[in-house]
Formats: sequence, structure tokens, C-alpha cells
Amino acid sequence: MRIAFLLHDLQLSGGVGVVVRHARELVERHGHDVTLVLTHEQEQEPWEFDGLAHLHVEGLAQARAQRFDVAIATWWETTYSLFELPADRYAAFIQSLEDRFYPSGVPERSSAALTQGLPIAFVTEARWIRDTLAELHPEAPCLFVRNGIDKQLYASPERLDVRTDGPLRIVVEGNPDVWFKGVSAALRSVANMREARHLTLVTGAPEAIHDATPDAIVGPLSQQEMAQLYAESDVVLKLSRVEGMYGPPLEGFHMGATCVTTPVTGHEEYVEHGWNGLVVDWDDEHGTGRALDLLARDRRLLHFLRTNALETARSWPSWEQAGTFMAAALGAISRAPAPAIGGTRLLMADARAQLEYNRGLAWEHIELRRAARVAGVLRRIPGFGLLLRARRHRIGRALLRPVRPLSKRLLR
Amino acid sequence: MPDWQERITRETAPAIRVEHELRYAAAAPLVHASAAWCDLGCGTGLGAAAGLGVPYAGTALLVDLDAVAVEQAHATVAAHAVIPLTADLTSPADLARVRDELTAAAADGRRCVTCFETIEHLTTFVPLVELLVELAEQHDTSVVASVPNDAFWAIENPHHVTTWGEGAVDELRSLLPTGHVVAHQVALQGSALARTGETTEEVASVRIDDGVASHFLLAFGPGAEQLATAPRVVQADLAEQRRWERQRESDLRFMQETRDRLEQEIARVAEFRTYIHELEERLGLPQAGETPAGASDDAP
Repeated sequence: MRIAFLLHDLQLSGGVGVVVRHARELVERHGHDVTLVLTHEQEQEPWEFDGLAHLHVEGLAQARAQRFDVAIATWWETTYSLFELPADRYAAFIQSLEDRFYPSGVPERSSAALTQGLPIAFVTEARWIRDTLAELHPEAPCLFVRNGIDKQLYASPERLDVRTDGPLRIVVEGNPDVWFKGVSAALRSVANMREARHLTLVTGAPEAIHDATPDAIVGPLSQQEMAQLYAESDVVLKLSRVEGMYGPPLEGFHMGATCVTTPVTGHEEYVEHGWNGLVVDWDDEHGTGRALDLLARDRRLLHFLRTNALETARSWPSWEQAGTFMAAALGAISRAPAPAIGGTRLLMADARAQLEYNRGLAWEHIELRRAARVAGVLRRIPGFGLLLRARRHRIGRALLRPVRPLSKRLLR
Repeated sequence: MPDWQERITRETAPAIRVEHELRYAAAAPLVHASAAWCDLGCGTGLGAAAGLGVPYAGTALLVDLDAVAVEQAHATVAAHAVIPLTADLTSPADLARVRDELTAAAADGRRCVTCFETIEHLTTFVPLVELLVELAEQHDTSVVASVPNDAFWAIENPHHVTTWGEGAVDELRSLLPTGHVVAHQVALQGSALARTGETTEEVASVRIDDGVASHFLLAFGPGAEQLATAPRVVQADLAEQRRWERQRESDLRFMQETRDRLEQEIARVAEFRTYIHELEERLGLPQAGETPAGASDDAP
């Protein structure tokens, strides 16, 4: 089969990594011809994902000249380009309900939600997404393919070491600037701890840390380095608010670390409270600190959770298995009758134009609000009304000429 | 200790045999209602023979990778006609042969395919699943397949290429036709009283709910709803079980001891060799066990 995955970019992120790995498996183990189609101009060099060399990476213009058996959007913005590719079947690989990444009122939110209404097949990695899509669009075919884990990279220890003393070694990863990753909340929760601990933050944006100081800040790290860090850690702390099927706690499980997590979507795929991790409440930084204290104090519990985390990891599919399910899913999509996409291409073009227009409006709205705030402050300055009135008369303008550059800026 | 018995034989533990027989008993109504039945990964045929109960009146296509097992199954399974077939279920060409044989065996009648404890052994199950779905959707074929719940115990079975559990079953289900039936095979425990010197046939009632599965059964195609769910219970032969377990424990201990002695012997020889090399060095002789430079490996 000729398969095209549409990607916004090839920068380091969990979601892009998943697509690249699936693509690699489809090529290496199932003999498919896979092209990664980049839908946007790339400002940065692509991240050096393993196996990228085995894949075709093309821009949209190049890809338009070819025909694919299945073309798959992998991010809501890539759906705008999906129907530009000549393909027998169209699909979307849904790694999260992406509208949730944006606060309400932002134009991107409704545009991202549009993906879920397209007359195409869906492949998703989490049961909560599958179930949500089934409720929203019972008629839409939705195939379920979990993400695999690189079992060579995240090679689980034969036997788990028992850690009876020393500070609780905690790892937090993510960009503190991304609101739904909950990194700042995680740092504050650790700061609330009373017991001895050692916190490592893995981030590519250390300048965004304001709330607490980790003991170590590292990153960005390669997968090998992450595996090593997890192996040295007791707990992966993850207080995300939005996730699809999050990888870090599972990767930690493979290396013998348990997790403390919010009940974020996707956690139910493998985290079981009191069995292989602890699930803490939303916005409960003190409670999270106490949960971490419990693990620091009760080393028997810590070992129990770590033991079961490792067992959970052992039963999780490898990338080879996940790739097999993806191959089967794409095969099923290609054999199924082609859905009528009718004027969807035009619709998407209109939607894109509407998004750009709404973005413009949103930007204007922000600018106007800023100006209104400034005006509100100025109006409270004594004599400002007089200044405004003076500008309406020739003599006033002549008197104000020496301070014109300043008044122009203030009154624009 | 886990038991990696992947082939059901007469020596297989009763609990494992009865599990296997139950799967065939569950499929029996669909098999007997078919003009042709194909058992993929048939093994020795013992499970099928016991589970189906009465001889099969149609044509049985017995398929396995192992030619010896296929021959055994041929001899074991009682059917009006038997077509033994050695095939690799990861090979599209072999699967095409299976499809052709099955469709030819029942040109007009209904067909049934059973595929128990086989998918997890395949390096790729994509062609097999595609064939099963095609047979169900286009060739009036009922399919009953099973996979183990390895994930629950986190069992790393060296014979299983893929790991199966609820998540993997959900992934598989998303590939199957709508209306497919899923059943959890659950373990039973029990006890009974036997009057000395008497053999009786007892009927017991057991409440069964949707508990943790030891295996998952999936049925799809026209007869999927006929999947039988009656339990199957056999008396445990504790004497045989004890013998079997003790033999394993004893063998294991024996092998560990043998290995330890071998390791000691290897260490002793290495120590001796070091000593000999030291002596040879002092005497200016070439080191024993090493080929002198320039000498041919096959020199006398």
C-alpha cells in the first residue's frame, strides 16, 4: 500500500514520534511504501527521529503529484491539506481530541473540533477517544490501535531493585509554558513535600520555570537518556489536564518507576490507583505533596507499586505489535467502501479561510482590549480630557506640537 | 512455575486440556451446522475431538504449520472427510490455499472456521485476520477465534510473539465485523465428594459472571450468536498432577545442580588453563589451545 501521513512538522514531540514509529513499522515489517507529508513550511531542521532515513519526507507540493491508497491526517491543521492529496481513502489518526488544547473563545478550538465531523475513517490510540467518537459520530468507522513501546530502548530490568532509603527520586517532564501539561503544578506539589526528595525536571524550556526550583533541570533528552533517567527514578509525576494516551508514566513503568498522576484522559489505559501508581485529585497540590510523602516514607508501598508497574509494562505491546495492528487497521480502511466525501475539500478550504479570518478578528480583539485598557488608565489622569479637547482646535494643536510624538503614541 | 505447553497432548495437564476442549465445545453448534469446517492451528486434534463430542458429518480441513501435528489430527478427528493441510498462517499464499480449499469443500453450504490459541504465535496476524473477516463477510462463514489473557498476569510466554489482553482484544475487535460476539473464558474451582468404590455422573450449578478472562473468545459471521457458553468440568487427577509437578520440580532442581557443577568445572578448567599458560610462558613454550602464528587451522 502507498500510505501518506500528513504532519504539521517533524519537531520533537510525543505525537510526532508516534507517527514516525508507526510509519517505520509499516515500511520495515509490513512492506508498505510510506511518505511523511509536511503540510507547512519548516522553519527548523527536523528532529532526528530513529528510522526517519527509511521514510520519504516530502512537502505538500511534491506529494500532490502522487496517488496514495490511504492518506492520513495526524493533527487537526493537517486535515486542511488532507483532501489535496490524491488518495483512494482518507483517514485521521486521532491522538487526542485536539480542541481541548485551546481555551474557549479561541478560533482554533472550534476548527480543531471540525476534524471529528469529517466523513473519513478514524484510527485512535485510546479507548476514551474511540468511545467519545462513537458517541459523537456512531456512523464513523473508528479503529483502535494502541501506541507501542520500544522494548529494546525501554528494556525492563529482570528483577526490580529494592530501594529502602535515600530521597524519593521524582521526575517531571514537559514544557512549563504549555498550560495543560501541569508542569508548574507538579513543581509546586513537590515543593509541598515534607520528606526528603530529589526532583529532576526534563524540559526544553527551563526559562519558563517560576514556581519552584527542581534539584536538577535537564533536557531535551534523547529516548536513551530518558530511559536511563526513569531507571534511576522512583516516581514519574504527571499532573496533565489533557492527554490522549500519555507515554511518560508507561515508559517509567518499563524502567521500574511508579507514577503519581491526575485522572487525566488516557490514564485509565494502564494506571490503576493503589496497584501500579497513585491517582491524585485535580488542583490538589497539597494532596499530591502528601501522596509523594507517603511514597517517600512507606518504602514497602513504593516497592509494591513499582513491582506492579513493571508487570504492567511487561504486558504492554511492543512497537512491532502496535505496528501490526496499524497495518491491519489501514488494510481494513483501504478495503472498506469509500465514503462519499463530496464537497469536503471545498468545505475544508472555506473552514481554513474562516479560521484565518477569525484569527484576524481575535487578534484585533486583543489589540482593541489592550488599547481600551490604556485609554482607561489615561482617562484617569488629571488634565487628559483637556488635552483631548485641545487637539480639536488649531491653536491647541500648535501648542501641543512640541509633545506631538508622545501624544500621538498615547492617543492613537 | 509457568507451563509453556503450547501443544495439547495426552500428557497435558487436565486443567489446560479442559480449557482447550471447552473452546471447541463452544464452537460445536456452529461447526456441526456447517458443511465444511476449518480448524486453523489444529495441533494434534485432541481438543477438537473431545470438544465437538460427536463425529463431524462434513468436511474437516485441518491446518497447522507442523506436518506431524496435522497427521496426528487427521488420525484423531472423526469426520466424514478430512483434508490435512500444512500451512504457514502468516503467508498470504498459504492462506489463499486455505481459502480455496474451504470454499471448494462446501461450494454452497455454510462454513465454519475455528482458530484457537494461534494468533499470538504469528509474527504477523494481518493476513489471517483479513482472511477471517473476508470469509465471514463474503463466504457465509462463521468464525470462532481465541486469544489468551497474558496481560493480566503479565506472562511473558516465550512462544507468544504478541501479548494479548483486554487492550489487544479491543484493538482486534475494532477490525472485526459489527455484531461480533465476545466471551470471556473464566476459570472454575471446585470440589466434589465421591463414595468409595463408586463412579457417578454429577450435575452441578455454577453462577458465572463476566470475571477476569483466562482467554477471550471472539465469534463473528452468520452463526456468531450460536456460540455455546456451557462450562466444562472434569475431575482433577491429583495423583497424575502431583507426579507431573514433582517430576518438573525434580528435573528443575537436577538441572540447576548440573548447571552449577558445570559452571564450577568451567571455572576450574579456566583456572587450570591460566596456570598452564603461566608455566608455558616461563618455559618459553607456545600457549596450549592457541594456534601458533602462521600455522593452518586444519593442520594435523
